[in-house]
Amino acid sequence: MSHMEEDSLEKYGLDMHCTMILEEYRANRQSFVRIMELAIQCLKDALRQNGMFVTAVEGRVKEEKSLAGKLELKGYKYRCLSDITDIVGTRVITFYTDDVDKLAAIAENCFDIDWENSVDKRKMHDLDSFGYMSLHYICRIPKSMYYDPQHPEINEFRWELQLRTTLQHMWANMNHDCGYKGDVEIPVEHLRNMNRLAGVLELADDEFSRIRTQVNKYRRMVQNLVADGNFDEVALDVDTFRSYLNLKPFDKLAKRIAAINQAEIHMDSLMPYLRMFKFLGFKTLGDIERLKKESSDDAFLLATLEIGGTDLDIISSTVSVQDLCIVHILKKGDGKEGLKAFFDELNGPSAYNETRAERLVEKTARLPFMNK
Amino acid sequence: MNVTINREENRFNVVLQGRLDTTNADQFQKDIQPLMEGDQPEITLDCTDMEYTSSQGLRMFLMLQKSVNARGGRMTMTGMKPQVKEVFDITGFSNIIRII
Repeated sequence: MSHMEEDSLEKYGLDMHCTMILEEYRANRQSFVRIMELAIQCLKDALRQNGMFVTAVEGRVKEEKSLAGKLELKGYKYRCLSDITDIVGTRVITFYTDDVDKLAAIAENCFDIDWENSVDKRKMHDLDSFGYMSLHYICRIPKSMYYDPQHPEINEFRWELQLRTTLQHMWANMNHDCGYKGDVEIPVEHLRNMNRLAGVLELADDEFSRIRTQVNKYRRMVQNLVADGNFDEVALDVDTFRSYLNLKPFDKLAKRIAAINQAEIHMDSLMPYLRMFKFLGFKTLGDIERLKKESSDDAFLLATLEIGGTDLDIISSTVSVQDLCIVHILKKGDGKEGLKAFFDELNGPSAYNETRAERLVEKTARLPFMNK
Repeated sequence: MNVTINREENRFNVVLQGRLDTTNADQFQKDIQPLMEGDQPEITLDCTDMEYTSSQGLRMFLMLQKSVNARGGRMTMTGMKPQVKEVFDITGFSNIIRII
């Protein structure tokens, strides 16, 4: 250690024991940085693999000054540097309370947990108390994850992982900001108000989780209804239409149309047609199924009329739905105006749309479905 | 098919003249090569004097559109004659290519 560093350690005014711990910290600071990087990378990888989204994954290595302050206050508690478990602190802030438990399970798989020193502060409150809520794990980097014979300390030093929700994080920060500033003792009344707020946020956290569970339950129910073919019971929306498209409901018609010219089908997203079905007043997947059942043959006739006389040998998969919608509008008797409005909505207003609508009305006049 | 490309930074104004079919699709593919490079291109294909496109032409436009999308750009076709627009309409390509 250089003379300058020795001087700088003296500036903290610590006793010999604490100064030695601080020296040990300096000698191992790079290892702490490595531990933090490994932990964060592992957490991020695990989140990605489990398809979990969180507010933040963060970490820090305690600054020397901060460690000196800690040693000054309670250095007597620590025999050596490795007794201090929060030099590396990592934190994952989740959206939902359930995710804290999921992440805990992930952390248990990824890291060696020092169970004796890990605490679930969420379970430490009395029935009538509210306040800091967070799950704290004291961890080690397992050798199976990383091992460098030159730096065995990377697997030996313990570090802290905090898991909490966004609202718990917000409360902890606000509480820290309001409650621990300097030398003024905070009146009990204000502390009580802060704890009341913790109760409200705890309720909000539970409510967010409950809503998510209900939405997921609804999604699963809708997917089952679609898979079982109970289309009339399924309202038309982004989720239901996407599930419906997974059944490839328009493939048969697209293949029939392609067969007219032995054409190649270019597969394109049919999701834009959700907007169009709604525009046409469809309310449920059952409405689309009925259109398909009642008008597929007519849509095929329309396609035959349009491309049958050409040598076009490529079509977009959207042509099947497009022709079904055109037939629907014509059968309803909405004619040119209806078609123009449909094309305006589908591709944006354009002078072409009127011409296209006129041409279609003219062309289809002799088709059987127009004369029923 | 004549292809004239006017470029200003990432903006390309491309004038298409004549017929696009199997006989000249390969040459067309070579002509539009400058449009297949660069980030976020803004490409306008002026089709005022395009007389016809075959399926092969549709494939070329589709290929260009995919390339432009992959590079975060935008492609617009303008001024189409009714008989050309009809080809895009009846094949469903006007649903996937921006035509104004």
